[in-house]
Amino acid sequence: METKPVPSSIQKKSSFLKLGGIIDGQSLLLLGVFITLFIFFGIMENKFLSVRSITSMGYQLPELGVLTLAMMITIITGGINLSVNATSNLAAVVAGLFIVRMIPEGAAPGLVWFFVFLAIVLALLVGLICGILNGFLVGYIGVPPILATLATLTLFTGISTGLTGGATVTGFPDQLSVIGNKPFLGIPIPFIIFVLLTILTYVILYRTTFGFKTRMLGTNPIASNFSGINNKSVLMKVYIISCIFSAITGLLTMSRTMSAAYEYGTTTYVLLTILITVLGNITAGFGNVLNIFIAVLILQILSTGFHMVLLGIRGSSFFKDFSWGVLLILIFIINYFVRGRKAQE
Amino acid sequence: MLTKIIRSNEFIVFLILVFLCLAIGLVNPAFFSISTIFDVLRASIVYFIMALGLLPIIIYGGIDISFVAIAALTSYATHMFLISRGYQGGILLYYIIACGLGLLLGLFNAVLVTRFKLPVFDVSLAAFTMWYGFTLFFVGATANFDLPKGTVGYYANFLVTGVDPLMGETGLHISIIYVVIMGLFIWWLLKYTTIGRGVFAIGGNREVAVRSGFNITFITLVIFAIMGVYSAVAGVTQAFLSRYFNPVIFIGQPLDVLAAIILGGAAITGGRGTVIGTLLGVLVIQLINRALILTGIPVEWQKLVVGIILILFISIPAIRDLRARRIGHTTELIQED
Repeated sequence: METKPVPSSIQKKSSFLKLGGIIDGQSLLLLGVFITLFIFFGIMENKFLSVRSITSMGYQLPELGVLTLAMMITIITGGINLSVNATSNLAAVVAGLFIVRMIPEGAAPGLVWFFVFLAIVLALLVGLICGILNGFLVGYIGVPPILATLATLTLFTGISTGLTGGATVTGFPDQLSVIGNKPFLGIPIPFIIFVLLTILTYVILYRTTFGFKTRMLGTNPIASNFSGINNKSVLMKVYIISCIFSAITGLLTMSRTMSAAYEYGTTTYVLLTILITVLGNITAGFGNVLNIFIAVLILQILSTGFHMVLLGIRGSSFFKDFSWGVLLILIFIINYFVRGRKAQE
Repeated sequence: MLTKIIRSNEFIVFLILVFLCLAIGLVNPAFFSISTIFDVLRASIVYFIMALGLLPIIIYGGIDISFVAIAALTSYATHMFLISRGYQGGILLYYIIACGLGLLLGLFNAVLVTRFKLPVFDVSLAAFTMWYGFTLFFVGATANFDLPKGTVGYYANFLVTGVDPLMGETGLHISIIYVVIMGLFIWWLLKYTTIGRGVFAIGGNREVAVRSGFNITFITLVIFAIMGVYSAVAGVTQAFLSRYFNPVIFIGQPLDVLAAIILGGAAITGGRGTVIGTLLGVLVIQLINRALILTGIPVEWQKLVVGIILILFISIPAIRDLRARRIGHTTELIQED
């Protein structure tokens, strides 16, 4: 068979591919959007660029960020995890109830820290169990992920509701607020955690065999099955990771708000994480953690930015929802034209 | 013929429904009464309508969540617009304006999907966020109880009434007629028109549908227009049934409606689905939600029970598929999830 010379467009792609998992075309677009919006709001409202405003954003966005990472890995397998928020709340509720009920009165700070540590382990355990249930339904029984996680979301919320009787858990010791509210070397700890977890997700997805299998499964479950990949086991592990990340989010929220409730976030929070993954161009088999990171930042500055600019106007806190939707559509349209031009090359 | 019915997904849902009724009735015989039937039906009306509007899109192979936002925006905006003009007439104008708006909003999604080749779900996600945000920011963020004089009493407009020994006078609301008409329309559309055939074709295998000559763009526009109109009707009807207009109506519900449709036998990847199945699915979800109160389970644990029931019910068809695949009984040439 005679060989044809490799077209230059493909050559360009393969060198780009070496950075696969870290950066792609969408990253540049999102970065551009981020910088534009940052400058825009900075001009519109001086207070936006203040240290206080930026750090406060740095405390809020990690929760959404880690939750989105939890959503992202399941989307890469071609599935979805609608129960991320419910898992997060359940983990927080269980850990919260443990702290509130188990710590003896007037315990020494050292003992309190010990209990907090136990509570964290407990929360992660809850995440593990939730993940196992999800993974079992999706991987082993074969229920469509959207239905399975919808059912588990109801189940987990139900457990939280039952355990708390509908009330919010409060009365936490001060030690608990450290993770969510204190900085480390000037950077909010939650933000550091978010960055670390983003890097961890990248490593898992692009630097391990497991991650490779996950992405292969995402692109074509049938082919991956016949390639010797144990689909069931991979899916189980993916949902376990997803739910553990959700549990971490729960801990972050609990630490920041010093409370735990069954209904924190509601359904729309989950849809927000899906919106971010869509913005980040995450699809089955392909996904880029940097996109998630930037997209979360964009949503956060849109939210805070419009809140500041529209301060005083009735209903200003709702404009951000409208703006997110518009942003998404604009990005879609831009992508459409970019794709069109690439195809012409 | 009988085996075909028994083997179908719809029959399983029907059995689930019967089982649920018996189980609840066993715990609390008060369940078996006219008022319960009328109550459940009344609560289900708007969900029937929304599910029917969503069904063609599911069969088409898409997933949409923006229908709830369309319901909210059309109903709330129509209402705020009319009362700001001092409108005191009846319900008809509401429906006309809302449906017109719903049509446009549905087409909005469809245009984005066809013109820019975007996935249905992604567009619906954007639309969901946009329209709720739009309603809350540009129209209003508070529930509104000022109903025009011509609409007062509509909520109690019953088709049939009955007397229940425990509850007294109850009735089946007249809007159940909408469900019947709208359901028949969808059934007719799916079964007897080329558009309906096209929807199934696109859902089954899009490439083949294109090559078979179906006008994908036109079909997409039609089914989204239908979804928009149906959502608008649902929004307005719900507002009149509950006697107030809510800008965030149904915001937590899109997934429930979706679950009902899939429970009723539609495939999430498209290509399959029936009106009967959808209606049964809605009934199952509604029954679970509403009738739990009658069983005496404490309120805070009800959601847990709903979750367990849901997990069981979604596992049944999945396990059935699993066993069928093991034996080799697949009706599909390719394995679908």
